[in-house]
Amino acid sequence: MTLLKLENVTKRFGGLTAVNKMSFEIEQGESIAIVGPNGSGKTTLYNVISGVYFPEEGEVIFEGKNITHLPPYRRAPLGLGRTFQIPRPFSSATVRENVAVGAMFGTLSNKIGVDESLETADRYIELVGLSAHIDKEAGSLTPTEKKLMEIARALAMKPKLLLMDEALAGMHPKDIDKMVVFLKKVKEEENIAIVSMVEHIMRAVAGFAERVIVMYQGEKLIDAMTAQALSDPRVVEVYLGHPPEGTHA
Amino acid sequence: MKGKIVKYYPLIPVYIAYLILFLIGINVSGMWQLVAMLAFYCAIGQAFNIFLGMTGYVDFGYVAFMGVGTYGMALSISHLHQVQWLGMGIIIIGLLLALVMASLLSIAVGAVALRLRGAYFAIATIGVNEGFRFLIEGAKIWGGSEGIIFSGQLTQTFGRETASLLSTLWADIFLFFIACIAAFITIYYMRGKIGYALTALREDEDAAKVMGINVTKYKIIAFITSASLAGLVGASAWALKLTYVFPPQVFEIHYTVECIIIVLLGGAGTLLGPVVGGLVYGLTKYWLTVIVPGFQLLIFAPIIIVIIVAFPEGIVGVLKRRFKGTTFKKFII
Repeated sequence: MTLLKLENVTKRFGGLTAVNKMSFEIEQGESIAIVGPNGSGKTTLYNVISGVYFPEEGEVIFEGKNITHLPPYRRAPLGLGRTFQIPRPFSSATVRENVAVGAMFGTLSNKIGVDESLETADRYIELVGLSAHIDKEAGSLTPTEKKLMEIARALAMKPKLLLMDEALAGMHPKDIDKMVVFLKKVKEEENIAIVSMVEHIMRAVAGFAERVIVMYQGEKLIDAMTAQALSDPRVVEVYLGHPPEGTHA
Repeated sequence: MKGKIVKYYPLIPVYIAYLILFLIGINVSGMWQLVAMLAFYCAIGQAFNIFLGMTGYVDFGYVAFMGVGTYGMALSISHLHQVQWLGMGIIIIGLLLALVMASLLSIAVGAVALRLRGAYFAIATIGVNEGFRFLIEGAKIWGGSEGIIFSGQLTQTFGRETASLLSTLWADIFLFFIACIAAFITIYYMRGKIGYALTALREDEDAAKVMGINVTKYKIIAFITSASLAGLVGASAWALKLTYVFPPQVFEIHYTVECIIIVLLGGAGTLLGPVVGGLVYGLTKYWLTVIVPGFQLLIFAPIIIVIIVAFPEGIVGVLKRRFKGTTFKKFII
């Protein structure tokens, strides 16, 4: 079943077209990597999907419902979770409270009380392996821990679609491998479609994604299965530019 | 059930502090005026903290809510004093009117201004305060720039003795009540979903939205709550105590600044903060007025700057860190 569908989505900032006529579909439970060099419009695309920006043209459809102009706080409970490129913890609150916020407000039933949310939080904190830091202030965590906390916070929202923005950037290769294994497991257990945005960690892309969407200058360049996409010569071109005349790549 | 009561433990030190203050006031002769002033600072600090402390938004027009609250009480007494059977009812109606008028103004202001952020919000609220004052003066609403003097009506209705008791004793006792209610609401919010939502939006409003929090709704709830309490403070500490209302005085921005200092000094967003802030601010101001009359503000300003630089999280913020992991932790919030 189609979970998310983008139709000809265009987002401009003044004269700059950050996202240009993007269309794609995401199936339930899929794992997708959106790759593209800096400035290719990935974050803007995420912001359009999560409702931070409304697009000038096109439609965003989630589970058959048109959510193009729905404010972000009403999208989240439908099943749209997200993490940020630079983690955005609620710094003065503890890890437990941070994750509880996700459980409390990010789910459709508004009946979930504080105590229940805290229990849910405990479970997801354990899942990402932060139990030792549960009562620490989120602001005092290391960058990697903050990222893990954000993932726990997003998972506590019980999302159907999890948008991860550079979740693996800056991590140790060993941690990346661990993370990939973890994400795969969570995806299976909770039946979440995961879209991971990656600038250039191909190791993670290859290990995690079933499908790759390559963005370049606001447009969709390639949308193909991972192995096929990564061997596409245009991917190399996007990152490294054209090989000079007369040389062989 | 027990877990629920434990959540409210931090109210104990607050209520003990108020009780001690009250007992000193009624038992030590000559202290009541000082105690009343401290109660005023604590009450208004707590009311303001529900908005400033919990949302992180600075409202420079806060005094306007105290102002309309003052008018609420003044209107009730000056218009209803002839209705014999109401008796003390006019005081209750005055308090209710203060509550309603302050919350209506806050809904009107909040619906517009709370869509702005940071400095823009602060500037807009200064405008509201000044605008409201000039509207009353210019359009000659509620007596215009002459205000309302109702000491006569008060004496007429209740007799000299009761009227004097109302303004010298009961007005201040009401303040203690308001302070206690404000403290309860603060902890009730902190422990509930509202508190989580407000913490989230104070720390990162955009992230809060993406987490499914309707930030505007929660900001407005905090704003209305805070404003209604301010209206009650105005009705008792100003209207009932002074028995007149005069626009330049009840819309004086100076009081907003005092509220901000009290909250930041004590610890924004904490329960104990405004109480500690109110006491420290009130006592220091009083003491400086006694020892260096006329120069108190000149000396007070640098002291406040030093304290705020030394303790950016407020006095209670420091205490919270100091007592982390001890038994006292439960009580210091």
